[in-house]
Amino acid sequence: MIRVKFVKIVGTSLKKGTVTIKYPYEKPLITSEFRGKIEVDPAKCTGCGACTRICPPKALYLVKEGDNLVIRYFIGRCIFCAMCADICPQKAISVSHEFELATDDIASLYEDIEHDLVKCACGKAFAPKKLVNEVIEKTKLPPHLLTLCPECRRVETVKRLSFRLLGVKW
Amino acid sequence: MAMVKFLALNQKPSGIDLERAFKRLKRSVWVFHLNTGSCNGCDIEVLDVLTPYFDVERFGIKLVVSPRHADVALLTGPITIKAFPKVVRALQAIPRPRLVLAIGSCAVGGGIWFDSYSTIGGLHRVIDILKDMGIEIDRVAYVPGCPARPEAIIYGVAVLLDLLKPKVKYRRVKA
Amino acid sequence: MERLELSKVLESIARGKRSRDILLKMSKVLGRKMRNVKKVGSTSIFVEIDRDTLPKVALLVLYNEPDVYFRTMVASDERRVEGVYKLYYVFGIDSEGTNIVLEVALPQDEPVAPTIVDIVKAIDWYEMEAHDLMGIVFRDRDLPRFVLPDDWPQDLYPLRKDVSIDSIRKNYSPKAIEHARAIEAEQIVKIPIGPYHPALHEPEYFELYVRGEKVIDSRYVGFLVHRGIEKLAENMKYNQVPFLAERICGICGFVHSTSYCQAVEDALSIDVPERAHFIRSIVLEIERIHSHLLWIGVALHLLGYDTGFMHIWRVREKIMIIAELLTGSRKTYGINIVGGVRKDINKDKIEKVVKTLNEVEQEYQHLIETAMGVPQVKKRLSGTGILPRAEARALSVVGPVARGSGLARDVRKDYPYAAYHFVSFKVPVYSEGDNLARTLVRVEEVMESINIVKQLLDTLPQGPISVDRWDVEPFKRGIGAVEAPRGEVIHMVITGRYGPYRWRARAPTYQNLPAVPIMLRGVDLADAAITIASIDPCFSCTDRAIVLDLAKGSIRTIPISYITQKGLPR
Repeated sequence: MIRVKFVKIVGTSLKKGTVTIKYPYEKPLITSEFRGKIEVDPAKCTGCGACTRICPPKALYLVKEGDNLVIRYFIGRCIFCAMCADICPQKAISVSHEFELATDDIASLYEDIEHDLVKCACGKAFAPKKLVNEVIEKTKLPPHLLTLCPECRRVETVKRLSFRLLGVKW
Repeated sequence: MAMVKFLALNQKPSGIDLERAFKRLKRSVWVFHLNTGSCNGCDIEVLDVLTPYFDVERFGIKLVVSPRHADVALLTGPITIKAFPKVVRALQAIPRPRLVLAIGSCAVGGGIWFDSYSTIGGLHRVIDILKDMGIEIDRVAYVPGCPARPEAIIYGVAVLLDLLKPKVKYRRVKA
Repeated sequence: MERLELSKVLESIARGKRSRDILLKMSKVLGRKMRNVKKVGSTSIFVEIDRDTLPKVALLVLYNEPDVYFRTMVASDERRVEGVYKLYYVFGIDSEGTNIVLEVALPQDEPVAPTIVDIVKAIDWYEMEAHDLMGIVFRDRDLPRFVLPDDWPQDLYPLRKDVSIDSIRKNYSPKAIEHARAIEAEQIVKIPIGPYHPALHEPEYFELYVRGEKVIDSRYVGFLVHRGIEKLAENMKYNQVPFLAERICGICGFVHSTSYCQAVEDALSIDVPERAHFIRSIVLEIERIHSHLLWIGVALHLLGYDTGFMHIWRVREKIMIIAELLTGSRKTYGINIVGGVRKDINKDKIEKVVKTLNEVEQEYQHLIETAMGVPQVKKRLSGTGILPRAEARALSVVGPVARGSGLARDVRKDYPYAAYHFVSFKVPVYSEGDNLARTLVRVEEVMESINIVKQLLDTLPQGPISVDRWDVEPFKRGIGAVEAPRGEVIHMVITGRYGPYRWRARAPTYQNLPAVPIMLRGVDLADAAITIASIDPCFSCTDRAIVLDLAKGSIRTIPISYITQKGLPR
């Protein structure tokens, strides 16, 4: 005689009832901690690129387009780890609960933020305007040096120092 | 006259026929799971979609074992160079209209290993190569996520079958 | 005089009685050839030896000791540092929790070493991988293509420092796409349907050689998941690698990121705050519960009991929800960084977690009782797929595979880490070695894990969740080991300036897969699927390298042309 104990499962099923969450007609099963797509606030972003350096899959990356610097966010490669949100010095990146990101056109998975670049006297566009303004505000360094590109800045600093300390004019 | 008729018979399926076949597919699709070297995170979420909490079988979607019976290939993984021949083989076996749903950040954009020496880097890089080999893919949908939530997969199937319009759009703002 | 001084030095380095005895034995055998014994990190002792003395040491001293097991082997390109290639053989003294690492230096123009595969059976795959990826030649043994595809160019070794990923892509990727059909197309059709593991949907497969209904031997063809992770990590920063490590495997990813962080913290002597240890242990145990529930569901499905599969996965969903509550994502949690964790737990979350765990415990016990009462489940599991204790010991298997064959090995007890010093729990061990034993080990471990999480949540200490800052010192070595749901995960890190110089991640399935042909001998074809599943294979953990295994079978119903085409020795 086989012991038919396993028929108990019928009782369990009846007691449990239906647990199905009829998404998309009902709300999905998301907790408050869920990490979805990130939102970058263009007003706060200064274009420093810290997020692009920490992003593990390089979903956030910098593209130079002429005199503009573009911060590109490729949602397709994002791993939703939120390291960029942790590291942004301006706290411009926030994490949303958005996960309905499917699309049939891969070009719609890109988001761009365009930054104007500061042009040095020599003609080279080297850093975003907002970043240079931020550095001028936060530090005591002289603005006339900060609006030069690194090479020109080096030359100018040596010129001024050698004048001040040695009286030599270049 | 006979020559013209003969040429017409030998043509590849025309766009009109595909549209008709596609309309018939709007409801219960049969899916084939194709793992091209993924970490299995998205794969267990695909299996999870069958379980009671999400229960995709209420839409009539069924997981089949052979690609010959399938309408949609659920592709996960960044397509490693060693798995590429299998991908070709499996996609070739799916009869037209051929639909592919690329699930997870690996399948969409290559994921965290998009620049490794042994991965090709996601579905969008191989679509043209497959076309040259004679394997046409009729519709593709991309589902980002790492791993892609079961709800996101259901949403992705709806976008693939044209039941829902996608929400994301390309945006460019000035800082 | 010299012997006395040497023994004094060894006594001061040894961490306990067992390591002292073993080091003294080694010094007797090696004499002056034993150089430079030093303590590294918190659990390891590195011993430099000549490559010619390697077989002697491996046999006479280490392999014959009953509590010493082989853990992993790492090949490293240190030509920039010391002008040599290095091989690190990691042996572990389970009873004491010490690693004895044999460091062998190979000159850069002659990277040849003796093979020890006859002595240490478990080292087979490691030697083949070191040859394939680093170009180390082992004397007197076959070295077929292992990790990389068959048409990979000769003399292109990806893990060498003078080879960049860009240069590899230039040399190889177009050919793969051209040869795609030519290489694999014919063969796929001939592979029998049985071995393609239906429930796991992995790209790998086993070939089974059958006579009648019984399986004679088997072959594993895989490593299709090789993604070049170790090479990628060398270009990444320290805090980006945990995310890479977590995606080695989607089911047991957190153990890899914890193990990597522990290896770096071991190498740089970073003092992680206690609260971080507790949080890591809690999330590790929750991952263990979810992984075992996943496996039990899959096993029931393979045995034909689909109702059980659905019910167990329904219970498992609750665990996924609390994992999302604690860490922010259902899987690939992403909360580990070097020096601690990124996310904290508050009282509200603790209450929810405890409530859910109580519900899960009740339902789970009820379901398991019912499932075991189903006739096909217990009958098909017992007596099939036996792994004898001696073979298990010879192959140094890990995890439930070892515990199901009578070896009481568990990293949480033998080499304690994180917060496991503070909890009390049992480690279930069964000695039959069949599928039922391995199933029962996992079934009981779920109950133990629920118990551990409740203990940890109860005694969670206050404090910071990560260190404020830590300093990098290049070329320091560290080993981190964690007990994953599938067995022991062990990582070794050699630190660099901004990221790891060399990172070796060894997953448990890599160690366990060589045991599958032994388990499959004499098994009915119908039971082959559950036998393969009983080691809980996680092919993506294993496949950070590419594997091609060899079978020794003689009668086959599979065309021989397939095997000879691959050019593998028979």
